Amino acid sequence: MNWKDIRTLYVRELRSALRERGIVVNSIVIPIVLYPLLMWLISTGLTYVNGQTAELTSYVMLRHLPDAHLPLQHLLEAEPGIDLEYSDHPELDIRDGKLDLIIDFVQVQDAPSLAEGNVGARFTYDASRDQSATARARAKRVIDRYRDRFIEREAAKLGISRTQLQGFRVDEVNVSTDSEMGRFVLALLIPLMLVVMLAMGGIYPAIDATAGERETGTWETMMTVATSRSNILAAKYLYVATMSFVAGCLNVTAIMFTMRSNMFAMRSNLAPLGGASGLTFSVQLASIPVIVAGAALLALFVAAGMLILAAFARTFREGQSLVSPFLIAFVLPLMFIQSPSQEYTLRVAFIPIVNVAMMFRQAIVGRYDWLPIGITIAVELACIAAALKLATTMVEYEDFVTGSYHGTFLKFVRQRLLRRAGRGRVVAS
Amino acid sequence: MRAEHSPGPPGPSAASPNVSPVVVRELTKTFLDESRGAIVAVDRVSFDCREGEVFGLIGANGAGKTTTLRMLSTIIMPTSGTAQMLGHDIVGDPAGVRRSLGFYSASTALYPRLTARETIDFFARINQYPEHKVKARVEDLIARFGISDYADVRVEKMSTGMKQKVSIARTVAHNPLILIFDEPTVGLDVLNAIEVQQAILELRNDGRTVIFSTHIMSEAEKLCDRIAIIHNGRILACDTLEGLRSTTGQHYLEDIFVRYVKGPA
Repeated sequence: MNWKDIRTLYVRELRSALRERGIVVNSIVIPIVLYPLLMWLISTGLTYVNGQTAELTSYVMLRHLPDAHLPLQHLLEAEPGIDLEYSDHPELDIRDGKLDLIIDFVQVQDAPSLAEGNVGARFTYDASRDQSATARARAKRVIDRYRDRFIEREAAKLGISRTQLQGFRVDEVNVSTDSEMGRFVLALLIPLMLVVMLAMGGIYPAIDATAGERETGTWETMMTVATSRSNILAAKYLYVATMSFVAGCLNVTAIMFTMRSNMFAMRSNLAPLGGASGLTFSVQLASIPVIVAGAALLALFVAAGMLILAAFARTFREGQSLVSPFLIAFVLPLMFIQSPSQEYTLRVAFIPIVNVAMMFRQAIVGRYDWLPIGITIAVELACIAAALKLATTMVEYEDFVTGSYHGTFLKFVRQRLLRRAGRGRVVAS
Repeated sequence: MRAEHSPGPPGPSAASPNVSPVVVRELTKTFLDESRGAIVAVDRVSFDCREGEVFGLIGANGAGKTTTLRMLSTIIMPTSGTAQMLGHDIVGDPAGVRRSLGFYSASTALYPRLTARETIDFFARINQYPEHKVKARVEDLIARFGISDYADVRVEKMSTGMKQKVSIARTVAHNPLILIFDEPTVGLDVLNAIEVQQAILELRNDGRTVIFSTHIMSEAEKLCDRIAIIHNGRILACDTLEGLRSTTGQHYLEDIFVRYVKGPA
């Protein structure tokens, strides 16, 4: 390895890449813009849907409301979006969509009531209709408020506490802080987006550095320069890994910026996820080195895999079709870790790609299980070493290096590597 | 275009004037084709090239010219035989060979997204031209090849003629003593072809050893000091034009070529 030559070749690759619109768009512009744009679209969509829902009128019918609770009727009448109706066939009307909700008030028969005017409410609605479900939610909010005030008042009259009156009562306390809830949301989003963008960022550079060179006729020029082929390969490899890594990091930075800023109102839309009043999105400084190390490992793996496959293509288009299956294979395992309950176990640490994604997730929430992290790094390094070993074996075949081999990666493996044939094999230099 | 006069990088034999800069012995290349089996593309080819001469390799398409030159430039390895460029063996010291020669062919394109200046700079550096002299060398070549006006224009925006000049400038960027031109005028119009021919003559006059392949006989007549006729991977004859004329009794190279390839009429 001659690092001076590798640097010269690397700078040449980068310079060319940064002048190619396709590479700049895919590896730089999209990672910066795509997810903020998607989040803005989602946020706008949610706001629009919420706005649409707010304009809906919910048609509600009250049945058997005791006189003692007439103030509840007034509250419901005063509630924006609720219209009290009467129907002779309310159940049929619910089915037909003419009525959204029936509230039946029933006396509690099986238990003596301490409070005067104790009553139960039963909601009848059609959960398969959005309007009906919305009516239920609206009415329940009003009734819950009314009920709380009623219980407080009755308890005061009896000279006991609300808890004594209510008996078995369930309260919720979320011990997570806003920033912890924010990290929980980030831990669900960022690993997937980071891995996808690391893969996306490597595609164009990998094809450009191999099939692209063959298409433009510069491959043969490169074969005549006074440096070893391993140096050329190393420079291309580092270039693709750099572009992949940069795409991933830019993407995460853009996501963080978008989530932290209030400009797309993401926080208010995501707040109900944790029941928090407002989420704050930040990661601990200590998690940044873990995320960066994981991204670098994945970028090196992506670069090796994509270069190997793209090197079989003679045109850019052929390169795209050869690399696409790798992209799918790379991203597919992430589908299995989308459950928030997935644990970063020792077993998971042995599964390439998934292990790094889980390492990201743990680091984002501020947990560092060093044994799985160590295994993850070792597994990824082993994958990278295996890919590089395969690449160096492939460049020992002259027709592969000169671009005269006609076939795919699988055919090459079958014909040359599995049969251990020496056909066309030369010492790479 | 005017070639430079500064000396190239010394090779093991550069100090011995009696040793030919290019020595080729029994060079053979066999390709293994999936359907056709073994194909001998170059069959025991031997020749020497002298300092300051244009050595022509003429033959029909598929005769073995390009395969021979690709072996000499270490793009591919020979199946057997050997060749030395300024004493560097093509198998034992391919990096030394590549430092000593410049390779130009119709299929060695330029990087479209680099400027002319960046292209020459890159090839000078990667071909091991002394680091501290690279800038001066780039400016010198830009001036010598008359590309100052578009030195900072990207190659993709240049005309064919401009690209041709930049291509030759990048070939000699590291100041090699041996130059290989593999069918350099293929696809060029007459004026651009003449420019390339002129550049080759200037490089020859400057003391470079030029190996030049073509299937255009008039070009070989005009440029080559000695000519080797190659057919089916074998060299059938190798001499000066005058020598070939006197051996065959034919005046035109085209007739000489046909005589060797098809035998006496």
